[in-house]
Amino acid sequence: MQISNRLTGIGLAVLGAAAAYGGSLLPPVPGQQVGPNVFPMVIGIGLVLCGIAIAIGVGSSFEEPEQVVAAEDGSHVPAGQEAPVPHAALKTVVPPLLLLFYAFTVDHLGFIPTAAVMVAATCFALGGTWRSALILALCAPPAVHLVFAKLLRVPLPPGLLPMPW
Amino acid sequence: MSTFIEAWQMVLAPDVLIAILLSAIYGLVVGSLPGLSATMATALLVPVTFYLSPIAAIATIITASAMAIFSGDIPGCLLRIPGTPASAAYTDEAYAMTRKGQPELALGICLWFSALGGVFGTLSLIIMAPLLAEFALSFSTFEYFWLAFLGLMCATVVARSSPVKAIAAMLLGLLIACVGIENPAGTPRFTFGSTDLLGGIEVIPALVGCFAVAEVMRAMSVPEPPQLERRKFGSILAGQWKLTKEYPKQQARGNIVGIIIGVLPGAGADMAAWVSYAMAKRFSKTPEKFGTGHPEGLIEAGASNNASLASGWVPSLLFGIPGDTITAIAIGVLYMKGLNPGPTLFTEKASSMYALYIIFMLGNIIMIPLGIIMIRLATFILRAKRYMIMPVIVLLCAVGSFATGNNLFLVITVAAFGVVGYLMEKNGFPVAALVLGIVMGSMVEQHFITSLIKSDGSLLPFFARPVSAVLAAITIGLMVWPLAVWLYKKRPQGRAAAI
Repeated sequence: MQISNRLTGIGLAVLGAAAAYGGSLLPPVPGQQVGPNVFPMVIGIGLVLCGIAIAIGVGSSFEEPEQVVAAEDGSHVPAGQEAPVPHAALKTVVPPLLLLFYAFTVDHLGFIPTAAVMVAATCFALGGTWRSALILALCAPPAVHLVFAKLLRVPLPPGLLPMPW
Repeated sequence: MSTFIEAWQMVLAPDVLIAILLSAIYGLVVGSLPGLSATMATALLVPVTFYLSPIAAIATIITASAMAIFSGDIPGCLLRIPGTPASAAYTDEAYAMTRKGQPELALGICLWFSALGGVFGTLSLIIMAPLLAEFALSFSTFEYFWLAFLGLMCATVVARSSPVKAIAAMLLGLLIACVGIENPAGTPRFTFGSTDLLGGIEVIPALVGCFAVAEVMRAMSVPEPPQLERRKFGSILAGQWKLTKEYPKQQARGNIVGIIIGVLPGAGADMAAWVSYAMAKRFSKTPEKFGTGHPEGLIEAGASNNASLASGWVPSLLFGIPGDTITAIAIGVLYMKGLNPGPTLFTEKASSMYALYIIFMLGNIIMIPLGIIMIRLATFILRAKRYMIMPVIVLLCAVGSFATGNNLFLVITVAAFGVVGYLMEKNGFPVAALVLGIVMGSMVEQHFITSLIKSDGSLLPFFARPVSAVLAAITIGLMVWPLAVWLYKKRPQGRAAAI
């Protein structure tokens, strides 16, 4: 997702201003001139300056164009013009959404069912068939559980489907 | 001598040897898979290191990263897709050799000169680190502050993007490091009332998010890479000794450039490879042969990226300033295992340091036989479909980050940083600068505030000591440089000159 430099610059400047303001509100250390407020204020001001610089285009001359990829026959295909993936934008948000799904449901459903949903959904989103998604959902979660829960002793929640080990 | 023997005993412990072997295989496999970088391989390994002895933990990081950097060359040679960003610089050259019917020679060069580069990098670490440690003992907080700041600025200069965006990314990282109660007064800062944020943003989940989740997100929007056809390889190492004798200058230059770039904070193996490849072409007697399957650039850049890997440990061990993103992760592991970076590490934990050198050497030596096996198996491993690997990576991101603190909030952190890393990369903000900001934030602040308290709020003492004055001048120069270039280009004659 490409956002214009003007917008990212303004966003960063606002974030910097908020950080500097938030920092200035922090209580000082009694008897000291400097405390926890100094660093966020310095960074905040720096971010405001950088944000403004990005918005007005300072430094954009350094940016290199995207690599041009040569095809097998020697012809050049500019990056981003290959055959598009259907629903690419929607698929891009799948991994973070699945991680959130894991964080909020693993305690209720247990590790194995949650992990199975995660791997199957990712596999499917990447163009895998139902069969490969199913095979992966059946094999990967128990294997990961064995390594992390049994060997590394990470307390993975058993939930609906506790493992025998 | 007794410390040296002690170091060997540490390395030869069965758990360490098993850790080296397994992490070597892991590094070779992960590095060879396109899209899975050496940094990602290392980040995913951290939860496992929790459960290992200190030396075994460090051994896994060193071996896996070295192997991953080499094996990133394999898909580059065979498929024209670099396995890791560090191989991208010379992928075209290696692939051209494969097209000429010399895949063995190309892969052999990558393997042989990677191993040699790694050995030279390790020698530089062995020689440089103790010398610099002695020098660093006289440093005060002022020097440490400038050094850390300079490290951050270096990361912004070497980034292949706009320096202003790189500085912004670095500041964002520093701001993220401000979250929590780990500040000079122990006041909750930017926690917004959340108890999960009191401890600050954990570095490892942030790294896993930026490098692994963002990569899976990217994979979602690009088509599956082409399949590799089955092929049989001849002798991998045949002709390498001849090339070693034929191109000694290129090799030496690659090693030295790699070592220098590795020592620079923030600049890692990928930068070393790009610079060395460009240098090889610039100084070559036959630059027209570059890009047509000529070994010269391959030798120089292949040696350079592995040499940078070892020398990247110099600033990490001495000052806690990461030489690249891999050592940024390694520093976390060093702290966790009680090997806190600093010049005193060389006096107090001398045997551990020797053990580290030995592991580096061993890692680069076993790279040759294991690399040959990996090359022979590559046609099978590279047939693995992306939709079978990436789902496991997503699962490992969740479980691995949870394991770092047994807290589900860390999984949310990974997801958030995945989005941040993806958006940053898409918009030309270097993720490495953000990561270095997060890793070094508390250190920079601590030295900054301690120095300010010592100087009673005055900024003059920051420039009073000779070493700190030099470091300050370089740092400020790097900061003003993009603005100066911009102003120069704004001038009418400057614009004319630019055209």
